[in-house]
Amino acid sequence: MSTHHHHAKDFLFTYIFSTDHKMISKQFLVTGFLMGFIGLIMSTLFRLQLGWPGESFEMIELLMGSWQEDGVMAPDKYLSLVTMHGTIMVFFLLTAGLSGTFSNLLIPLQIGARDMASGFLNMLSYWFFFISSVVMLCSLFVEGGAASAGWTIYPPLSALPQAIPGSGAGMTLWLVSMSIFIVSSLLGSLNYIVTILNMRTKGMSMTRLPLTIWAFLLTAILGVLSFPVLLSAALLLVFDRSFGTSFYLSDIYIGGQVLEHSGGSPILFEHLFWFLGHPEVYIVLLPALGITSEIISTMTRKPIFGYRAMIGSMMAIGFLSFIVWGHHMFLTGMNPFLGSVFTFTTLLIAIPSAVKVFNYLTTLWKGNIVFTPATMFSVGLVSTFISGGVTGLILGNSALDINVHDTYFVVGHFHIVMGLSAIFGMFAGVYHWFPKLFGRMMNNKLGNIHFWITICCAYGVFFPMHFLGFAGVPRRYYTNSEFPMFDNMIDINVFISVCAILAMIGQLVFFFNFVYSAFRGPKAPMNPWKGNTLEWTSPVEHFHGNWYGEIPAVYRWPYDYSKVNANGEYVYGEDFIPQTTPLGDDEKDGGEH
Amino acid sequence: MTTVTLENTNYKDEIRRKTSKPLMWVGIMSIVMFFGGLTSAVVVSQGGGSFLTIAMPQAFVISTFVIVLSSLAFHFGLISVKKGNHTMAKLSVGITLALGLAFVATQYMGWVTLHDNGVYAIGSESTQQSSFLYLLTALHILHLIGGLVSLIVVLVKTMKERYTSEDSVGMQVSLTYWHFLGGLWVYLFFFLRYSIA
Repeated sequence: MSTHHHHAKDFLFTYIFSTDHKMISKQFLVTGFLMGFIGLIMSTLFRLQLGWPGESFEMIELLMGSWQEDGVMAPDKYLSLVTMHGTIMVFFLLTAGLSGTFSNLLIPLQIGARDMASGFLNMLSYWFFFISSVVMLCSLFVEGGAASAGWTIYPPLSALPQAIPGSGAGMTLWLVSMSIFIVSSLLGSLNYIVTILNMRTKGMSMTRLPLTIWAFLLTAILGVLSFPVLLSAALLLVFDRSFGTSFYLSDIYIGGQVLEHSGGSPILFEHLFWFLGHPEVYIVLLPALGITSEIISTMTRKPIFGYRAMIGSMMAIGFLSFIVWGHHMFLTGMNPFLGSVFTFTTLLIAIPSAVKVFNYLTTLWKGNIVFTPATMFSVGLVSTFISGGVTGLILGNSALDINVHDTYFVVGHFHIVMGLSAIFGMFAGVYHWFPKLFGRMMNNKLGNIHFWITICCAYGVFFPMHFLGFAGVPRRYYTNSEFPMFDNMIDINVFISVCAILAMIGQLVFFFNFVYSAFRGPKAPMNPWKGNTLEWTSPVEHFHGNWYGEIPAVYRWPYDYSKVNANGEYVYGEDFIPQTTPLGDDEKDGGEH
Repeated sequence: MTTVTLENTNYKDEIRRKTSKPLMWVGIMSIVMFFGGLTSAVVVSQGGGSFLTIAMPQAFVISTFVIVLSSLAFHFGLISVKKGNHTMAKLSVGITLALGLAFVATQYMGWVTLHDNGVYAIGSESTQQSSFLYLLTALHILHLIGGLVSLIVVLVKTMKERYTSEDSVGMQVSLTYWHFLGGLWVYLFFFLRYSIA
């Protein structure tokens, strides 16, 4: 074989069809961020319409073509953008982008494994994700435009190709894309679970696992148990759309024509969808919570407060997430008694969530906090988890939810508690583990600028939405200018849109920092944050196998920070004790008590 | 970039041995949830009030016996491998494959009967329960095709006497999946029998 061929093959299997978890992690990160950036631009575009309804933005026509004729967004295109924004952000950025990146990067490195259980399945997982991303983006360019029934794709809009323009080929491609996405997610989750349970290094008991790994494990379990149900829902939808079945359809008239479907119910779809949909909230959130736990402990130079309580609360959240789906359906004619059951189970989630928040705050309390961008975004997550969680108590209660259901209150709530918390966790993770991903450091000053722009603008966007919701402004509407009762809300909408535009500009700072640092940032030392976990014992340069020679053994939990002896001196001369340091005679393992 | 393949540590074989079965079990969990979602959909639909019943074809009863027998045959094959009796192992796996194909045939016969009785899967004359009946059985067959492919691989390896009493992981994984498919069919049969048929 010629040298040229050999190099081409090396390139192909190192960078494209790699089975190395670190490369696959970077592939997920870059693809996820690209998708996220597209989703962000979409939100900015429809915020222009909501802030200044009917105004002409001729500059935008250059970008949008017939979607924005004479500079004004068409109503059906607005619906497509809202739908695609939700789909891309929830699934492609915050599910695959977040879990795919950090589960892949950290699971083998933090548990002490050379790679995932199956490198091949791992590679397939990424490529299925990539293909589903391409299919989803292609759906923007088909006749009728992309799917427009909202990211929850409720039938009958999604089940009848003739219903609205976005119900045609765009919806078909949405279903194809999501089916491939689910396969990707399942392959990834299979690997994560089996790797964590079977491939831990010597001494790495379950109570010595970093909280990141616990979070990834529980996330993967939620994915394995809930995504197949979405697949079953999508399958029935495909049959209704294309083969004349009536799983979700009954007694429908379109254009004066009665359709032949009978006996089905769209409520069935809602049950199946939300059986995935609610655990999906935690599939998005748990990795971010795990990342934050790790960063807060490392950067406050303190052991995480309530390690076992953190694990227990994540388990409780995961379990409860499967028995609360009905709170998305309080207005479907649900029996009030059943509604009260779902109210009860939903409000129960406040308990483990409060435990987590308490533990974050008590870990931060009196810590020697090192203010890096990762720390800032982690603290930002704690903030959004609280402010978004509090409004969850209102929406989880059927008596209160009915008043604000399908209003901007809901949009404000879930963007803060799920969207912002997850993306803050993701940003925190990228800043913290950038040295592990690219062997270089990011610029802290730009990182801090990014943080302050993001948190100020994000609250500026989503906090006022609660007021819109209380006033009854419905979500998903193209414009509210036809309703005089909402006239006094227009200023709030302008404010929200200005904040959204500024937030988008703020992300450009991050993207510049990311790309510049990946190529030109200062070289990273092996353990830049003085962390205890195993990934900081592997060499900076990437190679398949993670450690030269033997995999290091583990002797203690990962949170031995600032441990002092009776004289008030650091036990081992430093304020951190890596997991690879054997326990002294008079030491107890932190994870065991 | 340094390239270290670590091939000399032989860790890939060890990983395969440690993780093949857990991978299968977690995969099975996701399939359980998939069918759990669909059968729950049947239960929810029954509450709609317009749910009619359909006569279950006799061929599906035969299917049930066939797949249970095939599971027993496969299990006997693994026991034979562990005892070093390769002749019996080859025979058992061969019988399993034949019974697997017979299962597909009986399912097809069941669908023909349904069709002849005016029970349609799709189209304007289909009903919600007829669609569910066809869909659930077809999806089971789809998963069974994966099982048949793995059975063919196991049969070839058994013929070549690749499995030994010390290393029969591949066969055990295939057997686990086959048992699961059998169990899944028995569940579907009784579920359909008492909910739709």
